[in-house]
Amino acid sequence: MPRLPPSILRRAHAIDRFLPPLLGPCRNLRAAQNELRWLREHVDKVAKARHAKGDTISKGSLLGDLVRQRARGKPLQYILGTEYFGDLEIRCRPGVLIPRQDTAASITHLVHLIHAAPDLPSELRLLDLCTGTGCIPLLFRHELFASRPSISLRALGVDVSYTALKLASHNFQRMRKLHPASFNDPKAIEFIKADVLINPFSDYDGGSSIKAALNYHRASFWDILVSNPPYVSSEAYRMTTERSVRLFEPKLALVPPNMDGDGNIAVEREDTFYKPLLTIARDVEAKIVLLEVSDVHQALRVARVARALGIFDGVEIWRDQPGVSEETPSSPIDDIPIIGAGNARSVLCWRGKGAQWLGKHAVSLTPPTPAYHAER
Amino acid sequence: MTTTPWVCRNCLSRIAWPSIRRIRTSIRFQSTGSVVESVPPALLARARNIALEHKQLTDQLADGFDTRAAKKAGEYSSIVNALKEWDKASESVTELSSLIHDSDAELRELAAEDLDATREQLQNASQSLVTSLVPIHPFAHLPCLLEIRPGAGGSEAAIFAGDLLSMYQAFCNRSGFRFTLLKYENVNGTQEAGVPLSEAILEVDQENAYGVFRCEAGIHRVQRVPVTETKGRTHTSAASVHVLPSLQENSAQNEDFDDPESDYYIDQKEVRLEVMRAGGAGGQHVNKTESAVRLTHIPSNIVVSMQDSRSQPKNKEMAWTLLRSRIAQLRREKREEEMVAMRRSVVGVAKMGRGDKVRTYNYGQQRVTDHRSGTTVHDLDDVMEGGPTLEKIMESVRGWLMEQDVAAMIFEGDTKKR
Repeated sequence: MPRLPPSILRRAHAIDRFLPPLLGPCRNLRAAQNELRWLREHVDKVAKARHAKGDTISKGSLLGDLVRQRARGKPLQYILGTEYFGDLEIRCRPGVLIPRQDTAASITHLVHLIHAAPDLPSELRLLDLCTGTGCIPLLFRHELFASRPSISLRALGVDVSYTALKLASHNFQRMRKLHPASFNDPKAIEFIKADVLINPFSDYDGGSSIKAALNYHRASFWDILVSNPPYVSSEAYRMTTERSVRLFEPKLALVPPNMDGDGNIAVEREDTFYKPLLTIARDVEAKIVLLEVSDVHQALRVARVARALGIFDGVEIWRDQPGVSEETPSSPIDDIPIIGAGNARSVLCWRGKGAQWLGKHAVSLTPPTPAYHAER
Repeated sequence: MTTTPWVCRNCLSRIAWPSIRRIRTSIRFQSTGSVVESVPPALLARARNIALEHKQLTDQLADGFDTRAAKKAGEYSSIVNALKEWDKASESVTELSSLIHDSDAELRELAAEDLDATREQLQNASQSLVTSLVPIHPFAHLPCLLEIRPGAGGSEAAIFAGDLLSMYQAFCNRSGFRFTLLKYENVNGTQEAGVPLSEAILEVDQENAYGVFRCEAGIHRVQRVPVTETKGRTHTSAASVHVLPSLQENSAQNEDFDDPESDYYIDQKEVRLEVMRAGGAGGQHVNKTESAVRLTHIPSNIVVSMQDSRSQPKNKEMAWTLLRSRIAQLRREKREEEMVAMRRSVVGVAKMGRGDKVRTYNYGQQRVTDHRSGTTVHDLDDVMEGGPTLEKIMESVRGWLMEQDVAAMIFEGDTKKR
């Protein structure tokens, strides 16, 4: 990482004495100023809350403390305790991965695609594996309610970590308070503990497999499967992953473990999760599957695996902003269309009714209507 | 024996009258004092062109509905109807004129009898044809602002400006116009009444007010012995009156963003959206807090960037609001510029002298003359009290304005032909 020029540090100090330490993680003045403003707002809020309790704190020292923490690289989201995921303010705690804007963009786009589908079931069922803060089912339900309130979303979030599950339930309760309209049903979203990587047929009994957990909850079939699994290779973890992510966010949520469920050493370790995820998608008869990936190479690998499975009617790759069309649309690689702008971010697979929900049938089945009235 | 009750003869005859008395309504749109004897040939040609176009439009509408064509056809239909009436009337006039030279005495007599009525019909038809052809002023339906300032003539002009203000206030009161005094400043810079006026802005908050008061814009000249004069000499001073259409500012709240006519309308395709993306790998690799959104309106090159909130959707929403209001502001400014240009065309800024007057108030002769329509009245007191005499003058000026419009249109038509 290049050194910050002293001139920018001097300039920052002239504006505010708290700015220079924030420049470390932020790298530019504008971002640092934004973060300092948000930290100040947070400190004001905390001071007000304490004051209401009859307690007083020194705002200056609290702010200085928070700035020092941030300067050491602690993510701002952990300091402030929340992160915006779409419209929702999701609570974040150390030990659980902070929701990413790119994930929100994919989910929003997916809801945008299916909300107008004529033959959606009145109860849409969403399975989110590796749910973390629970942000995906929460945002999905919120967005779907906003665009089509008649359809209720039933969602199940699965994670291997108790910390994450506790936070996810907390987030759901919080959303029920903040947005009582879209989260009216207390049973709409549930979170259970299970491990995606455990093969249900192996005799390993350290935890419960997804299949066992779903059987136990009598919920074996799901319409949509979404997952943001750990997908960082150990090499990329050392080289490309940001220092603040490496130091403060859980490795469990970022880097897949060495072994897959059968105890075999995976060839491409960062892809460990995708095969089990696609198998689960097959078993729960998911019509739409959306899996987040790291880059275009991984996306292509996952897409090929999905295609090799032979159950999906279509596969495509979404970039960071799937809703935005690039000026020069990228040509499909291996007949896999790549949609949107930015880095390749997720792989979408569909089958059966999923094609209609996504509006895919219109392209393939009906030929474009000839323009009879063009002369007029 | 039947007894017939006595009924008053007047009452008896009243029974024969229609129960609902015919209310004589005389609606005059853009009426003129002078009577249009014949329709100018250029105007007639224009009417014929419009009729032709209207026919094409109706043919087109018969084939399939088109909103724009239907709207245009609807606009033209009044002109076409007026032209039809006029054609009919002029035809019968020519017919009757030929009959009047007939050898048959009885026929001649009948024709002469009819001719008068038909001539009147033709006159009416011409009138309505001209009225329908003359474009209504685009701001005529709006409320208006009257700005009164003293011109040349020192404190006497300021006193007269105050007189003019009270004249318009009285006129509004008498004819039922709602008004508010937006600004009132006397020569001492205070708001005390009774001191010579330095500036007053009167808002007439009623629809069509601009159409009514448009004719008042200009230099009003006064000739009288001022109260400040000790030697009894007659002075000539002036006050200027500006009339501006008042465009409601607060109508922004209930604007429909999806209505293409609205100032706030923005075509989504004309806006480039940029969001701050984490550089490099993105996804789980980075944890950025940047949520800035930048919108660029390509046609006007307006850039709005918003980074206040940690939530990107919220920033986007705020950026859109800001962009909308900026663009609306731009459009409004452009419109206001047009208005300023129009205002200059009414009263040149430099023409504040006594020479370019539109109306003279002569107290010595108790006379008010409007120099545009050439109308002179001799009831000055009634004018200054905003009475019917003022109404009469204003109407004559409105007629004059319309004639000017017609002349301009004919001129335009002539230059087009060449």
